[in-house]
Amino acid sequence: MTAVLQAEKLSKWYGNILGISDINLEIGSGITGLLGPNGAGKSTFLRIAAGQLKPKIGRLTIFGEEVFGNHLLFRRIGFCPEHDSAYSEMSGWQFILLLARLHGFDRKTAAQMSEKALATVGLLESRDRQVKGYSFGMRQRLRLASSILHEPEILMLDEPLRGVDPLWRIRIMQLIKDYGRQGRTVIVSSHILPEIESMTSEIVLIHQGKIFAKGDIHRIRGLIDSHPHQVSLRCLRPRQLAQKLIESDFVSSVDFGPDGRSLTVKTNQRDLFFTALIRLIAEDGLEIEEITSPDDNLQAVFDYLIGK
Amino acid sequence: MNMKEQNALPIVFASFFKSGFKAKRTRAFILLSLIPVLLMLIMRVMETAGSLAANDAANFFAKVMLVLYFQLLVPVLALFFGSTIVNDELDNKTLVYLTTVPVRRRAVLLGKYLAAFLQAALLVGCGFLLCFLAANITRLGDAAAWEELAVFLGTSLLSLFCYSALFTAAGAFMKKSILIGLFFVFGWESVVQYFPGVTQKFTIIHWVKSLLPVPPGEGGFLIFQLQPSPPLESVLVLLAAGFLFLILAVFIFERKEYILSDNA
Repeated sequence: MTAVLQAEKLSKWYGNILGISDINLEIGSGITGLLGPNGAGKSTFLRIAAGQLKPKIGRLTIFGEEVFGNHLLFRRIGFCPEHDSAYSEMSGWQFILLLARLHGFDRKTAAQMSEKALATVGLLESRDRQVKGYSFGMRQRLRLASSILHEPEILMLDEPLRGVDPLWRIRIMQLIKDYGRQGRTVIVSSHILPEIESMTSEIVLIHQGKIFAKGDIHRIRGLIDSHPHQVSLRCLRPRQLAQKLIESDFVSSVDFGPDGRSLTVKTNQRDLFFTALIRLIAEDGLEIEEITSPDDNLQAVFDYLIGK
Repeated sequence: MNMKEQNALPIVFASFFKSGFKAKRTRAFILLSLIPVLLMLIMRVMETAGSLAANDAANFFAKVMLVLYFQLLVPVLALFFGSTIVNDELDNKTLVYLTTVPVRRRAVLLGKYLAAFLQAALLVGCGFLLCFLAANITRLGDAAAWEELAVFLGTSLLSLFCYSALFTAAGAFMKKSILIGLFFVFGWESVVQYFPGVTQKFTIIHWVKSLLPVPPGEGGFLIFQLQPSPPLESVLVLLAAGFLFLILAVFIFERKEYILSDNA
């Protein structure tokens, strides 16, 4: 793999708050998912990579060059920030056109590129509306348009699917996959595992400012799946349900809740458990009022992995 | 791909000059800059109606309006337009868009500075012109009156240039620069300008007042204890200070790392 982005002993902190610590990483072409819970250091890493922050220790290079203050490198970089920010007095068109002009395109080409970028994110029809009249999801798409309008070789997207409606979520995922297929480098951050999983198999797990694991998502999935999952259920006949579940090999324990209507099940094989549960509901007519899985959030997964 | 290296300054200037007039703050300042015009018109109407003596409106202009403009309106406008050049980008978290494009940061800062300066200059200039016309309606055929106007307008532009460059540098350096700016305008400038000797030269207002064509003794408290410097020296000092502040602003903006809150 030829590294497009290279981080060596990269550390960054804000006063006493740690951003990232001692990160060594090489990212090549294709899509890489940067996965971690909120506050893990994903945005700090991407902001250093986008030349917004200076590393305290170590260095980060893109195409062999340091980024901060290297303005010409931004011809090759596209960055979609996480912040919900835009020039609210401008229209979507004015905003994108301004950036296209600043990317060095002449008027005609800038207009063509802006039109293409806005069409890609579905904002062409609302291009003349002021940005302050856009919904959250539209502003998110506008930010995405700003990062792809100059067709960069490396695209860095910080939580690009946040606040986007389901239809556009799928389209944006498709767009990201297309970028990856074209041989460009895409780094996409998220704290939602299935989001990343549907775009790429190459992931970097980041937690408390450090790279926790890197590699193929299936290997990491395996790590996650080998740990017991908890599922909380609420139903009218919890004892009957518990009796059925405890008979199976994949349930290791069942605890009853104090209200007499809920139970918490621990399982080592999450997928098998849910298949069996669906069967029980269908065949035995067990009515389930509520299913919650405290382990579904990424923080819980990380807690498992680091052995908390 | 049709891409070329070009000077981004005019692009930044044109874009922010246009969008700046849509900002609520600019609209509020347009109203603020019309207050002196309204005052002047009231004076003129009262003079015409005979409620005031002849030339009272012209005297009011010389004694009150100049103070209002040069000690209040110009520094305050410069403070808000100058310090928000960078601060607005930080507050709205939009700086990232201007610093991830292949242009030098100095072009961004100077383009935005020119846009802000021109907006403020238009507000001050138009208001000042209307006030002047209202005050001197009877002597519009007099060349001296127009000469006076040219000096007033020139001085206000120089003053705006210098103050807004200073506040741009302050805004590039710190986030809450408006508070420091208010202290500078209403604290330091208001007090130190009355100190005798060389001390008063450490204010911008000293050099601004030295350019005003109001003879000592006729300007009331406006020129209290002012020991004016020669006009040419004043122009050069204001220009030099303005350029120095701008260079400082560029120096800071190109090197400083701006952290857009919620780090992590």
